[in-house]
Amino acid sequence: MNLAIKDIRFNLARFALTALGIGFLLMGAIGAIGLYRGIVADALLVIDHIGADLWVVQGERVGPFAEGSSISSTMDRRVEGVEGIASVRRFVQFSQQFSFAGKVRRATITGLDYPRDDGAWFELKAGRHLEASHFEAIADDSVGLPLGATIRLAKDDYRIVGLTHGLVDSAGDGLLFVSINDATAIASRRPSEQVLLARETSGNAAPQGDGASPSSVPQDSKIAAVLVGLAPGADVARIKAAILAWGDTNVLSSAEQRDLLLNQRLWRLRLQILAFASVLLLVTAIVISLIIYMLTMEKLHQIALLKLLGARNSAIVAMILQQAGLIGLFGFGLAMLLSHLTFPNFPRRIVMLPQDLGIFFAILCVICLVASWFGIAQALKVRAQEVLS
Amino acid sequence: MTGAPLLSVRNAARHYQSGETVVRALDGASLEAHAGELIGIMGPSGSGKSTLLLICGLLEPPSAGEIYIRDRLVSYPGADLDKLRGFRRDHIGFVFQKANLIPFLTATENVSIALEIADVEARAARGYATQLLGALDLGHRIDNRPSRLSGGEQQRVAVARALANDPPLILADEPTAALDSVRGRQVMELFRRIAVERSACVMVVTHDPRSLDLFDRVIELSDGRILSEPSQPVQAHP
Ligand SMILES: Nc1ncnc2c1ncn2[C@@H]1O[C@H](COP(=O)(O)OP(=O)(O)OP(=O)(O)O)[C@@H](O)[C@H]1O
Ligand SMILES: [Mg+2]
Repeated sequence: MNLAIKDIRFNLARFALTALGIGFLLMGAIGAIGLYRGIVADALLVIDHIGADLWVVQGERVGPFAEGSSISSTMDRRVEGVEGIASVRRFVQFSQQFSFAGKVRRATITGLDYPRDDGAWFELKAGRHLEASHFEAIADDSVGLPLGATIRLAKDDYRIVGLTHGLVDSAGDGLLFVSINDATAIASRRPSEQVLLARETSGNAAPQGDGASPSSVPQDSKIAAVLVGLAPGADVARIKAAILAWGDTNVLSSAEQRDLLLNQRLWRLRLQILAFASVLLLVTAIVISLIIYMLTMEKLHQIALLKLLGARNSAIVAMILQQAGLIGLFGFGLAMLLSHLTFPNFPRRIVMLPQDLGIFFAILCVICLVASWFGIAQALKVRAQEVLS
Repeated sequence: MTGAPLLSVRNAARHYQSGETVVRALDGASLEAHAGELIGIMGPSGSGKSTLLLICGLLEPPSAGEIYIRDRLVSYPGADLDKLRGFRRDHIGFVFQKANLIPFLTATENVSIALEIADVEARAARGYATQLLGALDLGHRIDNRPSRLSGGEQQRVAVARALANDPPLILADEPTAALDSVRGRQVMELFRRIAVERSACVMVVTHDPRSLDLFDRVIELSDGRILSEPSQPVQAHP
């Protein structure tokens, strides 16, 4: 007869509660690690999927994610002339608030260099990619816009022609794709009063020596970067050197962009979440160890009795291990179930990688083993006559 | 009594160090016990009855002296009794004041666990356990958990468990102390029957003089010493 299972069936409610408690603890730890993974995955979404080999950005800067970057709106043509470059696209991204259905929404507007880029590099959940150079938008479903909805951005109305799922920026705001020209228009919006004031100032002030801005309103270009696709076999070092030689630009590889995002911009956040996850893991480990250890301690009287009846140590060890194993197994199963039920409803992506779950399971097994080992050490020390006390 | 003794205790002593003083719980006791005997162990509180039983039951080694079971030296000062767990399982059954049943097992399971521990196959163990419980008038209680059993019923399950492996020696420490006089008497009569029918040696520690008539003989302890061991049985039994 299997004593571990008999005991569990006798104390089913307690077993279920214990497993549930362990399940919740594990779920918390899985969630913390998953949040970390999610933050990283979200941050890298665009860099990893947009398909750029090089990013040409403002000189002496490491934009557009780690720092601001603004380059001339015709920079793409200049870059295109460099030998070994197969494709160029302009890129801009900025946060925007607008209202829809009476509520304030947030989105990260991302310019697609239509018609060279209609957004084919990301998957649609519904609708279509861009088919016109103006007034069409593709929104991530997290922005909360339905397909076909019309929203007002700056001075124009945009129609949502496509929906994506899970495309967000590093802060978790959903992406809203429009053509690059529309994006610059939206970014350039300013109140008319500002235009008037600017005209007045520039009229009264002494003319600038370099006479850079032909416009009465000094404004930066809204283009942040040019995405470069390399021709097969292109000499990256030479291309980089050529572009850097212009002086007003900087060139970053995709790998450098990733590194900048993760190790500069998101460094503190990542560290924070990792630290938090570690604390949670530690607490989980301690609590689960205690639970398993206490369960064994509670059994010492029965273990003494089994010894009195002449049970071998192996039978006693098996009982303790089986019980710890079953609690761990059910706890893990419940953690899986709870995680898969709840995490998809969290506001930010929780990524549960199979290898992370595998490591969690392995850690749980080790915890159960170590805690049981302490329990077993006590159990084997118990003397049969302690039944009498 | 004829033939070799089942149990032979020779000059056994048990001293406990408590602070500066030494407690002589058992102070040179010798006795022999034979198969088929029901022996009462009596004496005032603190006289060493439980200590004697622990030493006979191979749960504690003596500080001095030896214990033989079937002419085999099994316990002596410093003996590693944990190694004798298997021997104990096959030779000695215990009953205590408290039944000490496992709460999550039914009456049958509480008995058959003792058999399964001795590697009896599960179905056979259940069968024999059921049969034993039936013989102790617990046939209607076999599937009940201990919490559903009266004190007397629990104690009889404990007796059945002690009998499960057919040990030649059964040691009981105040098995009736927690029972009313009627149930206590029933349990004592049960021991009487076991001694006769199974020709087991049963040693029972008790304070209850009303059971005197059932014993073959009584060992009186006082201050760790055996006072009197009447050469004649208290009362003859068939
Ligand atoms: N583990 C121990 N450590 C110290 N002293 C002990 C220990 N066990 C028993 N003693 C002492 O040994 C003496 C005999 O104890 P024992 O339990 O054998 O008496 P008893 O005859 O069974 O008494 P009672 O009728 O009250 O059960 C007592 O004085 C007791 O205090
Ligand atoms: Mg006692």
